[in-house]
Amino acid sequence: MTAETFAQAIVLFACSVALFLMCVAFFLTVWRVISGPTLPDRIVALDMLVAIAIGFLAVIAIKTGFNLYIDIAISLGLVGFLATVALARFVLTQGMPEDDRDPLATTGARHGKGPTQRKQRPTRRGRAR
Amino acid sequence: MMAVVFALVVAVMLIGGGIFTLLAAVGVVRLPDVYTRMHAASKAGTVGSGLMLVAAGLHAGEFAVLARAFAGFFFFVLTAPVAAHLVAKAAHHAGYRLSRGATCDDMRDHTKK
Amino acid sequence: MVTLFTGIVFAIVWAAVTGSLSPLNVVLGFLLGLMALWIIRRDFAGTRTVVRPGKLLSLLALFVKELALSAWRVAVLVASPKMDLRPGIFAYPLKVDRDIEITLLANLITLTPGTLSVDVSEDRRFLYVHALDCSDPAAVKRDIATGFERKILEALR
Repeated sequence: MTAETFAQAIVLFACSVALFLMCVAFFLTVWRVISGPTLPDRIVALDMLVAIAIGFLAVIAIKTGFNLYIDIAISLGLVGFLATVALARFVLTQGMPEDDRDPLATTGARHGKGPTQRKQRPTRRGRAR
Repeated sequence: MMAVVFALVVAVMLIGGGIFTLLAAVGVVRLPDVYTRMHAASKAGTVGSGLMLVAAGLHAGEFAVLARAFAGFFFFVLTAPVAAHLVAKAAHHAGYRLSRGATCDDMRDHTKK
Repeated sequence: MVTLFTGIVFAIVWAAVTGSLSPLNVVLGFLLGLMALWIIRRDFAGTRTVVRPGKLLSLLALFVKELALSAWRVAVLVASPKMDLRPGIFAYPLKVDRDIEITLLANLITLTPGTLSVDVSEDRRFLYVHALDCSDPAAVKRDIATGFERKILEALR
């Protein structure tokens, strides 16, 4: 085996490992997008998905040798940034949607102590601050 | 010999970027509230995808591609905090609260006054 | 002078993005940069910034170091089986007061370990910072004041 082919094998192996890691990351983030529990959580997760897609594009650029993918990755980053900004503006102007009013929803499932602790609060409390 | 060293550098950056991205995703899943999740997404996520992009630029072995990869990395580093800042601000204004273990929230106290 | 300097920076960025260092391309980038500056000239009126390149480079070095460190810290925190979190938002009293300085400081704070800037108060006296470990806000405030804020003041004033 010459040094050239050895080097190529190393890079291809790293590509496979990276693709595997990205796949796991992708599905974890998709789970967060689906389960929420709140709108900003989903926005953050979507932003993360864009970062993962950029990573995918970088790996594909190495695997296929098309350097044009790097330009695509940069454009995707720009579009993703604009999308996140637009969604953030949406939250800023629209306020909290009805589904997120539950006071325990924002604390996350892991720290919530179940619905028995839920106090009856006026729903406008979230807005008042 | 040079080619092998070069390939190793690219491979380490690729796998390192992959690990950072994976840990950022784990953070987005594990951390308790929006604000802490943003920490994971905006730092580890940016560094992860940025590392992979620079690895792709290095592997191409051309100045033009490497310069573009670095420009992209710079761009991500510049925009990630702005996006995180805007989402955090919007979430706080809309009234999303910090998680249960939070110790202090000066912002709420200040705006209350 | 500032316009010329910004134009040169734009030309370098243009050369990097288009990926060609030929003189003609750099000149084209410089002209495009000047045109872009001309379009936004209204927003520039009245802001005179002194830039010290040496201090700016040292700020950049600190920033890259902190970025790597912060990604590492978040990764370690997330990977540890029992996350020790004491999140909170504290108000950081700002010494810097111009738009560019506040923007720079907010961006730098976001990319440092465990802190994320959330908002600037209406009167621009406080920067609200979310910290992963807010058990000792005074120490974090001291770190920012002696680290980034001092460097920004040195580089831009």
